[in-house]
Amino acid sequence: MIEFRNVSKVYSTGTHALNKASLTIEKGEFVFIVGSSGAGKSTFLKLIMREEIPTSGTIIVNGMQLDKMKRRQVPMLRRTMGIVFQDFRLIDKMTVYDNVAFAMRAIGASPKAIKKRVPYILELVGLEGKSHNYPSELSGGEQQRVGLARALVNNPKMIIADEPTGNIDPEMSFEIMELLSEINKRGTTILIVTHEHELVENFGRRVITIDKGVVVDDTMSVSASES
Amino acid sequence: MKFSGFGYLIKEGVKNIWSNRMMSIASVGVLISCLLMTGAASLLSVNVTSAVESVGGENVTRVYLEQEVTDLEAVYITNELATISNVTETVFIPRDDAIKELEDTYSDAIFEQLQGEGNPLPNAVDVTMEDLSLYDTTISQVMAVEGVESIRDTREIAQKLTSLNNLVTTLSFWIVLALTCVSIFIISNTIRMTMYSRRFEISIMKSVGATDTFVRIPFVVEGMTIGLVSGIVTSVLLFFLYDIIMKTAQNIIEFSFVPYSQVGVWTTIVFIGAGVVIGALGSVVSIGRYLKKEGNELLGW
Repeated sequence: MIEFRNVSKVYSTGTHALNKASLTIEKGEFVFIVGSSGAGKSTFLKLIMREEIPTSGTIIVNGMQLDKMKRRQVPMLRRTMGIVFQDFRLIDKMTVYDNVAFAMRAIGASPKAIKKRVPYILELVGLEGKSHNYPSELSGGEQQRVGLARALVNNPKMIIADEPTGNIDPEMSFEIMELLSEINKRGTTILIVTHEHELVENFGRRVITIDKGVVVDDTMSVSASES
Repeated sequence: MKFSGFGYLIKEGVKNIWSNRMMSIASVGVLISCLLMTGAASLLSVNVTSAVESVGGENVTRVYLEQEVTDLEAVYITNELATISNVTETVFIPRDDAIKELEDTYSDAIFEQLQGEGNPLPNAVDVTMEDLSLYDTTISQVMAVEGVESIRDTREIAQKLTSLNNLVTTLSFWIVLALTCVSIFIISNTIRMTMYSRRFEISIMKSVGATDTFVRIPFVVEGMTIGLVSGIVTSVLLFFLYDIIMKTAQNIIEFSFVPYSQVGVWTTIVFIGAGVVIGALGSVVSIGRYLKKEGNELLGW
């Protein structure tokens, strides 16, 4: 669950990235965050991940109040979320398996748990046959599935995807979105930041529009209301 | 932190050294030089201190008798010197013994020829004083005894050695301090380079919720391993070098050096300990700054 109450963020450069933004995203929701570049989407994500601290206002994510959080508590917050990046951010010199296992090792999982969990997740994203391949040997869509597997492997309460289909072709994009829908059905909250309107409209989910640091629209997209 | 992942982190640290091996070798080299110089400075200080103690510790003044004084007369003079109030002990040193002593020390054939009739040394008496503060009075009493030619004033040597000792100790202290700082700087630079090359992995670790400790461990392991290797190599080098250097030094100035067996264990412990501590400190110094960065800032994007 994510709650923003009158959150403002002013950078030291003087940029007003967010201006008294308030919104609530419930557990298990599937939400798109849209807006033109420079609208405040990135700041919104950074605040959720606590890479940035709000200038004013209150942020609660998965039961933790971020604006009052101590630095050493941040890792515990991040373990409740899985992040998917536009540029995949896979480690080139590691195999698909190791890229996914890396996320588990980083939080001190036992080798036994890793051996059990990684193949299961790779199967879930349809990459069971590619575990010994290196990222460079995969297509963009496959690479993003590895990114998604890595985000999922620590069993997070929510997935945050920053332009997950930005670097892959439309067909593959659709597959990734289907996969995210599938994951959402299992109870994981999904938050997708994007500027691809077509994608948003096709999926018919809740859409939060940010413009100039303000939440200007928060509705269900057309196809959702039709269905 | 779960310790099940600990082995993995140590492995990662050792991997860091290998993937960054040129820089690791360079820092091991610099660290060895620093430790060796530090060790040389401390050991010089130890030896000078020991030399000062051996000279200053004995309140013995050698009293030379006139050349014409015979052995029998010398024995009388020895007894007479013993009656002076501040004198606790007198030992007669016959000229034949004195020349043999020199021969034993320098093992030079020339002293063999100087024995017997050709001996240029006078008879002497070693006088031990109870209270060195009464040195001047006692010496004038000694000089007043008939047959006494001159004295060898070890007090002056002791004083010179003491001030030399103070100088060496002070200098060693600053050398040790400066070189320790240099070593920490070198290690922290090496670790910083590794961190830079692994910044991408660090950013991913942080994004999935790795604790600072967890991110830090491989780099601390790397620093400590570099320090440990340097400490061991330095100890081995010193083991071979110490006797060679001391014997060479002994040929230049005569003094009895502290044997390696007496300092070896300590220097080994200190070198390895210092190496590990410097390695750990160096890596902690360079990591702190990095850990505060987040996301793209960490990647420099």
